[in-house]
Amino acid sequence: MTKLGFLSLAIIASTSTSALAFDFGKVTAHYAALSSHNSVYVEVSDEVEVKELTPSEAFIDTMGKTAVSFLANETLSQDQKRAEFEKLLKKNYDMKTIGRFALGKNWNLANDAQQKEYLKLFEQMVVDVYSQRFDDYEGQRFEVRASRDVGKSDQLINTVIIPDSGPEIDVDWRVRTKDGKRKIIDVIIEGVSMSLTQRSDFSSVIQRGGGTIEPLLEHLRSR
Amino acid sequence: MKQLGYKTLALTLAACVSLAACSGTMSGADGYSEIPDPFEDVNRVTFQFNEAVDKAVLEPVARGYRAVTPGGIRTVVSNFITNLKSPIVIGNQLLQGDLEGAGNATARMVINTLAGFGGILDLADEGGIEHEPEDFGQTLATWGVGDGAYVVLPLLGPSSIRDASGMLVDSYADPLRIYLFNVEEEGWHYARVGATVLSERERLLDVVDDLRRNSFDYYAALRSAYYQNRQSIIRDEKAVGSAGGPEIPDYDDF
Repeated sequence: MTKLGFLSLAIIASTSTSALAFDFGKVTAHYAALSSHNSVYVEVSDEVEVKELTPSEAFIDTMGKTAVSFLANETLSQDQKRAEFEKLLKKNYDMKTIGRFALGKNWNLANDAQQKEYLKLFEQMVVDVYSQRFDDYEGQRFEVRASRDVGKSDQLINTVIIPDSGPEIDVDWRVRTKDGKRKIIDVIIEGVSMSLTQRSDFSSVIQRGGGTIEPLLEHLRSR
Repeated sequence: MKQLGYKTLALTLAACVSLAACSGTMSGADGYSEIPDPFEDVNRVTFQFNEAVDKAVLEPVARGYRAVTPGGIRTVVSNFITNLKSPIVIGNQLLQGDLEGAGNATARMVINTLAGFGGILDLADEGGIEHEPEDFGQTLATWGVGDGAYVVLPLLGPSSIRDASGMLVDSYADPLRIYLFNVEEEGWHYARVGATVLSERERLLDVVDDLRRNSFDYYAALRSAYYQNRQSIIRDEKAVGSAGGPEIPDYDDF
């Protein structure tokens, strides 16, 4: 016991000296923060409360909180959660823009009927994919961190998903305001755009399937 | 023997880098670049092989690892492994001229090794100094070397000509590896490589599941995801925020 006490004392002593010796500006401040955990948390929570959310940030924040509230609601069955989630997705995602982008220049390969069928199948796919993802929900927290303008009329909202253990996941939401309405047009997880990944996938299917839209529709139908 | 080793390395590297430098990135539709994949046929064969190995060995082992160890223990393992990589991270930060990054990485190593019980606790992260992954592939990128082409390495998976060359350099120059080989404790080196692979595969379980399940052509989806993630790491986005993904047009015609 005394031995252990002495050991930790020695460690603390040695780190405080090394923290001083390696004065990389931040380090000493960080170390000070380390030694008093309470103050760190107080600071963080203050920051969150003081910060005013921009309308686009509030849009993502509300969506995230709504999702978490029914995902964490144990009185709802899995099917009810999915139904709620589907509503939330359809309300907040601009499925047409996302679907259109995922097809890229191949959009023009499709005739009117194919375009219509594609968009319908695509929407169903997005709903399925995201519902599946949210099935794995295990009490992670969701936090809006920052936002900035991108492109002509879009905003990028930076959020983090904080699991109980393991590293935080960076998720950026690209929100487009059109006719006064905000809709999500892309989700970027750890630098990976879902729309772009989907487009690479679809374009490869089309290319390898002989350059027509039909093989892709076939895949979408049989999902 | 050692001389020969370095010579071969230097030659391979020179060949790889010049190949990488010559081929630029291909600009996809809407101006967003995709990594060129001139060796797609070969890559797809290697990819099939890797998938088979992964499904037979790696994935089940990673799942077993997840099942038997609590999250806290896995974090400890991953912290320890990450801390062992510190010398490489610091070296590459310096080569990239990122003094602040090098300072942060050094501070992380010192704090975590001394106060974090040899690196099993990431106290530096709790104090606000986040881990930033750096490798020689990224260093080459900051020096202006292009990706070259997409390559799927046997067992190691998605990479590019540039990043594969970087990987070679990192593993050669790793002080810990050199030390363990000098004191004839190669066993520990291989144990560390094994632990790194296992820990990394466990971390990627959900991501890989998701991409496999939700793509029609997993090869193409993974190529894209790999490349985007890599680009974002090269831009050090942890610090500056994501680039915002591709530009998405406003479609009016429907």
